[in-house]
Amino acid sequence: MKEILAALTITGFAAAPAFAEFPDKPIKIVVGYSAGGGTDVIARTVAQFLEKELGDGASVIVKNIPGAGGQIGFTEVAKAAPDGYTLGTFNLPAALALTKDRSADYDVNSFTYLANFVEDSNTVVVSASSEFKTLEELLALAKKNPGAVTFGLSSLGGNDHFAANMLADASKADFTLVPFKGAAMARTALLGGHVAAGTMALSQTTSFKDEIRVLAVLSDERSPFRPDVPTAKELGYDVEMSSLRGIVGPAGMDADLTGKLRDVLNVVNKNPDFQKAMADQGNPMAFIAGDAFADLARKQDGVAQAIWDKSPWK
Amino acid sequence: MYLDLLHALPEVLSFTNFAAVIIGVIAGIVVGAMPGLSATMAISVLVPFTFGLEPLVALGLMAGIYNGAMYGGAIPAVLLRIPGTPAAVATTFDGYPMAQKGEGGFALQVAVVSSSIGGVASAFALMLLAPPLSKVTLLFGPSEVFWVAVFGLASIIFLLGGSAIKGLISACFGVFVSVIGSDPIFGTDRFTFGQLELLDGINIVILLVGLYALPPVIDLLEVPLKTDGVSSSKLGTEPLWRALPRMTRFWKTWIRSSIIGIWIGILPGAGGSMAAFISYNEARRASKTPDTWGKGEPEGVAAAETANNADTASALIPALTLGIPGTAVAAVMLGGLLIHGLQPGPMLFRDNPDIVFGFMWQFLFGAILLVLVGGSLATNSFARLLNLPRPLLGSVIIVLMLIGVYSIHSRMFDVYLMLGFGAIGYVMDKLNFPLPPVVLGLILGGFAEENLRLALRIGRGDWTILFANVTSLVLVALTVAVVVGPMIKRHFDKKREAGGEV
Repeated sequence: MKEILAALTITGFAAAPAFAEFPDKPIKIVVGYSAGGGTDVIARTVAQFLEKELGDGASVIVKNIPGAGGQIGFTEVAKAAPDGYTLGTFNLPAALALTKDRSADYDVNSFTYLANFVEDSNTVVVSASSEFKTLEELLALAKKNPGAVTFGLSSLGGNDHFAANMLADASKADFTLVPFKGAAMARTALLGGHVAAGTMALSQTTSFKDEIRVLAVLSDERSPFRPDVPTAKELGYDVEMSSLRGIVGPAGMDADLTGKLRDVLNVVNKNPDFQKAMADQGNPMAFIAGDAFADLARKQDGVAQAIWDKSPWK
Repeated sequence: MYLDLLHALPEVLSFTNFAAVIIGVIAGIVVGAMPGLSATMAISVLVPFTFGLEPLVALGLMAGIYNGAMYGGAIPAVLLRIPGTPAAVATTFDGYPMAQKGEGGFALQVAVVSSSIGGVASAFALMLLAPPLSKVTLLFGPSEVFWVAVFGLASIIFLLGGSAIKGLISACFGVFVSVIGSDPIFGTDRFTFGQLELLDGINIVILLVGLYALPPVIDLLEVPLKTDGVSSSKLGTEPLWRALPRMTRFWKTWIRSSIIGIWIGILPGAGGSMAAFISYNEARRASKTPDTWGKGEPEGVAAAETANNADTASALIPALTLGIPGTAVAAVMLGGLLIHGLQPGPMLFRDNPDIVFGFMWQFLFGAILLVLVGGSLATNSFARLLNLPRPLLGSVIIVLMLIGVYSIHSRMFDVYLMLGFGAIGYVMDKLNFPLPPVVLGLILGGFAEENLRLALRIGRGDWTILFANVTSLVLVALTVAVVVGPMIKRHFDKKREAGGEV
């Protein structure tokens, strides 16, 4: 599926881009989080390679506009002139979940979806010393004694929360959700035995191989990072949730410009040095360009809306 | 693992890597000394530039800045009663009275030596005990951390002497400020009036700069052109080697404060200000002459400065082993590590021992360099700041404040907020309301609320979860002791007085 998409974008690349003069001034990538965070590091890595691929003295700068869980930065991109000089990082489902639980000046249609780079699947985890050896054992207790299983998350209204919600729905189990301040805090509480289980992105577990037991990964196929871990789907629960990080621009960008940027981002993705840098930072890659990315955003928006309608978290 | 430690040493001592630490320490002292600029800010500015640097050069700069800034904050705290960083608030208690008595130079020397001792102790804790100490962090779940926050809040009410009622009102104001923003569990907006800028709550630096820096500057400008100047003899500056013997009597405080600082550092979220406050409080309680504290007791400066440096390296213990930063600075540093593909966790120590242990050495060298670099830099240049004409000094500080606050999020909103806090601070100062409880109220109030609510969620609404294990009960006992202890002592003192009269 992803290969086909990549092939399609390459064909697009063969046609010579019309915007020969673009860019004639610095391109800005807005990051809605502080410098040094996971998203910021991705943006800076992309910027570095994008600059190189655009060539001709092009300059790509990263601008951090942190605040309100990224909302201030996402709003900045949505409201920018669609001239290709203001791009931004886009975190799914977080960016769109924000539009459900508070008033936002943007929605799923406010962006031109250029390319997604990272897809970090959610996992169901327990501490290595936990009595639960399989997902089935964990869910059995959560069904028998509703609320008895405390389930650590990084926050409400993010991929962790949606993952827990969808798993509870699919299995008819009932967890007590405990939203910590960030994934690292949730992980520490899990290791210290303060919560019984939890969900977090797969990349959050890689440095803790001996300390954390991953019971299931919530994706349609097993992760190349942990081929030993079954998917929830294999175990009979059709639940998929992940954290996605890509690059978008404001809605209303010219088709030629959009095409050119997608093509260049595709070339960036093909660069082995780029792939190595991203892998070193622990980012599981999933390059999804163009319309497929836009469809994905709409699908995620639907998931967030459905969960919000059914069980609003505030 | 100790072999890895030695193995990492030669790389650290290479010219560029060592120079990075020296440059970092100097930059840190300068940044820390400027009101409004903090170590967190300096390192976040630095992080994007470290992309192209060798890992150990980048980390050396960060380690140096962190150590330098924690001492640098003491310089304006002593000379102007303006804490350069949040952690230097407790340094003003005795540092500024010393400066007024003409012992500013000695106060700065006590500060630099104590900072260095705290930093070295902390670096050793990080180098030798990181894995076992990270187990201690794991013991502290939401209910235990809640009690730590309560303990901190309880101890400050009795910290300041003076009017306990006024202290309590100040602390409540701080706690109120901590409530502004989205609530820690559901994200419901509280007192934000629809402003996105308020959604994340109020940054401690904004409050600190407004509350602490503006009133002294106004004081400074109220008596303009009174440039009586402060000659170096009046500063009490003498060579460090001659001042050292006068400090050796602080050895107990150095040890106690180092342990307190290290302990606070490994707890997620509390940070240097709490370390400095608790250490100051404990040192005063242990002192034979508690009445001289707050009036220019050098041991008070030693207690505060030892503790706020002792939490630097130890804050990296949970950061490196568990990915949870003990302080805001450690959080930014984690970003710096991530850029170089170093992901925190137990695997980090196995996969990249040379860099991790090299980083630890850099912390040690940073702490030692502090005395060499900071000792002369502070007394020879910064202390002479007081010779500047007052209008000039005042305006320089105001400009620094504005730049510092603006650069946190690059927005004017924060600057207006800071000026608002400045007005409040000025009024509080004139009415003799103590300011430190406001700062701790903001830090610990939010911390207590978040953890109380998490604990109750884990316990599914059952309050007994707060007393469910030994760690919690020990903390409850400490809290009770810190509140009831002074009351009983006062009671017996009164009885003894009454008995004497009869």
